[in-house]
Amino acid sequence: MKVELTTHEDTVRFGRTLGELLRAGDLVLLSGPLGAGKTVLTKGIAEGLCVSGRVSSPTFVIARVHPAGERGVALVHVDAYRLGGDLAQLDDLDLDTDLADAAVVVEWGEGVAERLSEDHLLVRLEREVDDTRIAELEPHGAWTERALPG
Amino acid sequence: MSRVIMGIETSCDETGVGLVRLSENDAADATATGPRVELLADEVASSVELHARYGGVVPEVASRAHLEAMAPTARRALATAGLTLSDVDAIAVTAGPGLAGALLVGVAAAKAYAAALDVPLYGVNHLAGHVAVDTLEHGPLPRPCLALLVSGGHTQLLRVDDVASKITELGSTVDDAAGEAYDKVARIVGLPYPGGPPIDKAAREGDPEAIAFPRGMTGPRDAPFDFSFSGLKTAVARWIEAAERNGESIPVPDVCASFQEAVADVLTMKAVAAAREYGIGTMVISGGVAANSRLSALARERCEAAGIELRVPRPRLCTDNGAMIAALGAHVVAADLPASPLDFSGTPALPVSTVTVR
Repeated sequence: MKVELTTHEDTVRFGRTLGELLRAGDLVLLSGPLGAGKTVLTKGIAEGLCVSGRVSSPTFVIARVHPAGERGVALVHVDAYRLGGDLAQLDDLDLDTDLADAAVVVEWGEGVAERLSEDHLLVRLEREVDDTRIAELEPHGAWTERALPG
Repeated sequence: MSRVIMGIETSCDETGVGLVRLSENDAADATATGPRVELLADEVASSVELHARYGGVVPEVASRAHLEAMAPTARRALATAGLTLSDVDAIAVTAGPGLAGALLVGVAAAKAYAAALDVPLYGVNHLAGHVAVDTLEHGPLPRPCLALLVSGGHTQLLRVDDVASKITELGSTVDDAAGEAYDKVARIVGLPYPGGPPIDKAAREGDPEAIAFPRGMTGPRDAPFDFSFSGLKTAVARWIEAAERNGESIPVPDVCASFQEAVADVLTMKAVAAAREYGIGTMVISGGVAANSRLSALARERCEAAGIELRVPRPRLCTDNGAMIAALGAHVVAADLPASPLDFSGTPALPVSTVTVR
């Protein structure tokens, strides 16, 4: 399934809709080149999950935990950009949260983070010549049975 | 009376141990605005090369590298200063912000030293350390002063009323840090990591006005002291793609110079505007990106025009090190602030308003 996102706000709104669908234990992988809108989409996901804390690029800290808000689900925002290619030991990051109580979003996660769970949603973001973004959703495992945004 | 403070820094890739001497101010010296702090040793071990071998940062490798480097780095610092552990009167350690597993190692080591030596322990803020380090080079900080912290992980504009106890964040990046934008643009134009030095070098041969890259967060409705560098990174990628589509060769020096101009322009513009808004006469620029030649040149030019005193510590002190944590610890000790409890732990997202962990 493909969704066209014309503006920055469209990307945030699409992320918010996705965030509203997320539950504890969910895994979302984001792929796409530099500037495709992965962090912007995550801002929207955070809004949909009602978590606290400003969403900014987690490249340097690798993973940032956004504490749960009214929905009771935290967001772990991971960036695999600087990682050597093995996210299997996500727990080694000493994240101060229980991954079972959080939704996990991994930027640069394609080909790296799938092993965290067979059940995951892959979102491929592409930037077109006119600056429009295309989001392609690829559900895996249990996600094939679930509602998708868009 | 003088006291020796040991500072331990392990928030990211560098294992740093610094030693400073804190001296009581001469009572006759009425002009002194802060404690006298002298640098005795500044030893750093970096795991950057180790990470390069693994093709990236592996959190467990980073923690292990800190663990292996910790005691030898401390021994080297003591040897450089001609001191022994029994000369140390207090320990300061980075409590955050930073990588959780990396912080853990420094905090555990600091607790062990403090307990073994029976000296007070201070868990302090890494960002405040970047400001305090300037006192090692330029003496006591005027109150208040403005600090612009720019590094691979941080981009912040701070009002510093007292580096030991009162720091307020005026703004920060809403997406990428300035140094991160350098790293990512370097990757886009095919220059090595870390991106700061090679872009700075390439930019010297280029025209900063060749390409009009956007200045993020400078619109009338944008937060005046926040930054955004994600759009700039995307603009560079788009410009290069367009040139490639048209079969043009990429003028890397012009791209680097124009990108660097956009970064330096926004950073200095907002920092000077903040100093004016709050009526602050001194600006400190610190963090790894402070070594950037265009940033320091433009900051000097604009501060001079605005009548603001500019202080930039030498590059060795701007990047992560233990001396900055020791310097901050000295200010906390001099202010007679309470020590941290031995049961505190590292806080990856420690806010800059928390200078010392209680």
